[in-house]
Amino acid sequence: MAISAATKAATDALAVNHAPVSVGAQEVHRWLQSFTWDFDKNRTKYSTKYKMANDTKEQFKLIAKEYARMESVKDERQFGSLQDVLTRVDAANRVHPKWNESMKVISNFLEVGEYNAIAATGMLWDSATAPEQKNGYLGQVLDEIRHTNQCGYINYYFAKQGQDAAGHNDARRTRAIGPLWKGMKRVFSDGFISGDAVECSINLQLVGEACFTNPLIVAVTEWASANGDEMTPTVFLSIETDELRHMANGYQTVVSIANDEAASKYLNTDLNNAFWTQQKYFTPVLGMMFEYGSHFKVEPWVKTWNRWVYEDWGGIWIGRLGKYGVESPASLRDAKKDAYWAHHDLFLIAYALWPTGFFRLTLPTAEEAEWYEANYPGWYDMYGVVYEEWRARGCEDPNSGFLPIQWFIENNHPVYIDRVSQVPFCPSYSKGASTLRVLEFNGKKHSFSDQWGERMWLSEPERYECQNIFEQYEGRELSEVIAEGHGVRSDGFTLIAQPHTSKDGRLWTLDDIKKIGCVFADPLKAL
Amino acid sequence: MSIVVGGGRRGLTDPEIAKVILAAIPDKPLETQRKMNYFMTPRGKRINEYETLCCYTQPTPDWIPGGLDWGDWTQKFHGGRPSWSNESTEMHSSDWHRHRDPAFRWHALYVKDKAEEWRYTDRFLKAYSADGHVRSIDPVWRDEVLGDYLGAFGFSEYGLFNSHSSPTRDCLGDTLRMSIAMIGLDKVDNAQMIQAERTFLAKLVPGFDESTDVPKNEWTKGSIYKGARETVEEIWQGTYDWNEILFAGHMIYDPLFGQFVRREFFLRLSSYYGDNLTPFFINQMQLYHSQTKGITKDMFHTCLAADENFGDYNVSLMNMWSDKWLPRTVNAMKDFMGIFSKIPTIAGVSDKAAIEAALGRVFDDWQRDYADPIGYKVDTAAMIKTVLSGLK
Repeated sequence: MAISAATKAATDALAVNHAPVSVGAQEVHRWLQSFTWDFDKNRTKYSTKYKMANDTKEQFKLIAKEYARMESVKDERQFGSLQDVLTRVDAANRVHPKWNESMKVISNFLEVGEYNAIAATGMLWDSATAPEQKNGYLGQVLDEIRHTNQCGYINYYFAKQGQDAAGHNDARRTRAIGPLWKGMKRVFSDGFISGDAVECSINLQLVGEACFTNPLIVAVTEWASANGDEMTPTVFLSIETDELRHMANGYQTVVSIANDEAASKYLNTDLNNAFWTQQKYFTPVLGMMFEYGSHFKVEPWVKTWNRWVYEDWGGIWIGRLGKYGVESPASLRDAKKDAYWAHHDLFLIAYALWPTGFFRLTLPTAEEAEWYEANYPGWYDMYGVVYEEWRARGCEDPNSGFLPIQWFIENNHPVYIDRVSQVPFCPSYSKGASTLRVLEFNGKKHSFSDQWGERMWLSEPERYECQNIFEQYEGRELSEVIAEGHGVRSDGFTLIAQPHTSKDGRLWTLDDIKKIGCVFADPLKAL
Repeated sequence: MSIVVGGGRRGLTDPEIAKVILAAIPDKPLETQRKMNYFMTPRGKRINEYETLCCYTQPTPDWIPGGLDWGDWTQKFHGGRPSWSNESTEMHSSDWHRHRDPAFRWHALYVKDKAEEWRYTDRFLKAYSADGHVRSIDPVWRDEVLGDYLGAFGFSEYGLFNSHSSPTRDCLGDTLRMSIAMIGLDKVDNAQMIQAERTFLAKLVPGFDESTDVPKNEWTKGSIYKGARETVEEIWQGTYDWNEILFAGHMIYDPLFGQFVRREFFLRLSSYYGDNLTPFFINQMQLYHSQTKGITKDMFHTCLAADENFGDYNVSLMNMWSDKWLPRTVNAMKDFMGIFSKIPTIAGVSDKAAIEAALGRVFDDWQRDYADPIGYKVDTAAMIKTVLSGLK
């Protein structure tokens, strides 16, 4: 075998220095951008009106194996904490019952968001042309699988070790019954995966992750911890370490289209629609979960919202994108109003429809009523009096024969569902900005609660045809619907949902609901 | 005590708060069923952790078979196309949630394995370099075969990696989606390992070109990978049905072309040319191939071919897809035969008889593991003859 000059050089080099040599992740990554090639059919399967630049870089330069190493280290810490010290101190049984219930919803609904983000970032991986940009999205695909598993692990942990497994153990089957589900699907599912790929990135990364994961995944840990839950901070803060890369992906999406003419035409409209889409659900639901789903209070939701959404995201984050022509959404002003009252409006309806949940809800106590009034002056006259009336009529007691939804009917306060956001609202009894708008299309009536959603629907009604629960279940008796949706515990008749978390209170059964004779009706039919 | 807690007080450790919490907790658990996802049908006797954490995470309505949700999509594509739809594939299933990774790997287990492989790679490369193994590699093998043709093969792996993007978006089940993303990541890992090897060689061998320019030129313009490139492009971007993409890539192209190139060319021949570096990387790729094979055989054979309602139809479709993708793959292998004229022939190793034997192993394996389970009739001898006609 002939010895080449290169082999001789390598041999000579070794004679001088035998130091071990390896290859670092960055040494491989720097070639990544050249991994692709041009060919006729090389175009995305998901159309977008924007053109992503071919030379877009990613901020976090990972290769597959380095990604795995990094995540594995985080997993070791996280699962080590959960399986070792938190289990030994029986932590799942030292969580306030109200918060135990909140985590049934928060963790499962976040799981849906994370799951759909796998598909969303798969679409972006397909849409991007630059290998580095594809690589950034690919990392996120894997992250979202991680987060899906992590959120599932919270419910798994609470089911296995906690005080009330029902709802934690079967949320994936029972979650679809209630009025919060479809709205959640709009923001966390379809909003991420169905549409122009860049529009979906804006929904997922620029708004969902850069804006709402801060309150959803970071602020929630303070509330959890205050209420005795150390499992959620352990998992959610580990999730959040990945979210930073996802926000960077959203930033890079904007960078990749910044020089495209379409960006100047459409980007701010898409951002405004995405922001309104996300805030319409998250603003009321997060506020409701934090304030009404806890015993110990950290701070009023409106303050959290102002800090994370208005100042940090609407000001600083969007400000950084200003050089690319991005402006704060026009709907931010209206959202700020929602941050004050919308969660109170929503809890009133959610509590009224409590039998359709997969969790237990609790009426505000006297101490809490004081806290609400102190932080939201006017709360008592609007909401406090109603809760007092419901409590006096025995809404927590199965023998009372009273479901709070009856109060809405008796007082002629119909509850509608916004066609675009799928969020329920009661225009005649709310302090938020909801106003009833009804439009007819193809022989069907559609209700809307705000101008932003109505505008989206008017321009593309074919995108928002989904039935709501009143249409789906119209004419059906409530206990039948609950049984069909598996909303009962393992004894086969006690409801998973309950209107209290009192350890002494009786639990409602299907029979208790049946004897009330509550039948679903579509309020739009009465118009 | 006050319900307002500030200053980061923690309910688990703050005695005052803990006292209130403990007083509110029920004296005994309210529910006896503690098994999450207790309602599902496990693959084995009991629901395992993988099934608990992955199954039914997808919120599809019941008109996509296996879904637990109801109704329509809350937002659709512009024009009204649904978020996910049965029409995204010609395959039919009675339950799109039926697939399982045979290794039951959820994310934590998957990254744990790969992290260990990365740490071991680092240790191996340090030992390899310190030991001076690089001195023994045949220069032609090193500079031309590894530098150019292994580098060019990285594009095949990278293209196949990208073919997983739309199936990750479009597939109809949760365990499917997770498996698809993971086997996709393994493919880009292969491409990156190839570049890592070339970069490593450049650090040890002065003048060795780690740039991707020559390999890309070979991949895009050369004759050796012409058929492979055209097939990969068609799988990646020419095909829309997510099941067909996976079938073409993992049931036809990779078990034939990929296995021949990795196992029977680079892995088998390298040691004859003094190269014991390449087998280290190729063996990792072969591990991924083996894991992927388990996954895709579960998708296509265990689930779709055996489907109680649509099995016969699905098998017919798989036969049709085999008819479509097999000739292209055979052609890719035929083109690849040109590589043997680039290396010094070693009798019994890289001569025609040895190549024919290698092809026989690949085609026999493929017939046994992929064709026979769907009743696909194939004349492997004729195919081997066609491939061999590419020898220069």
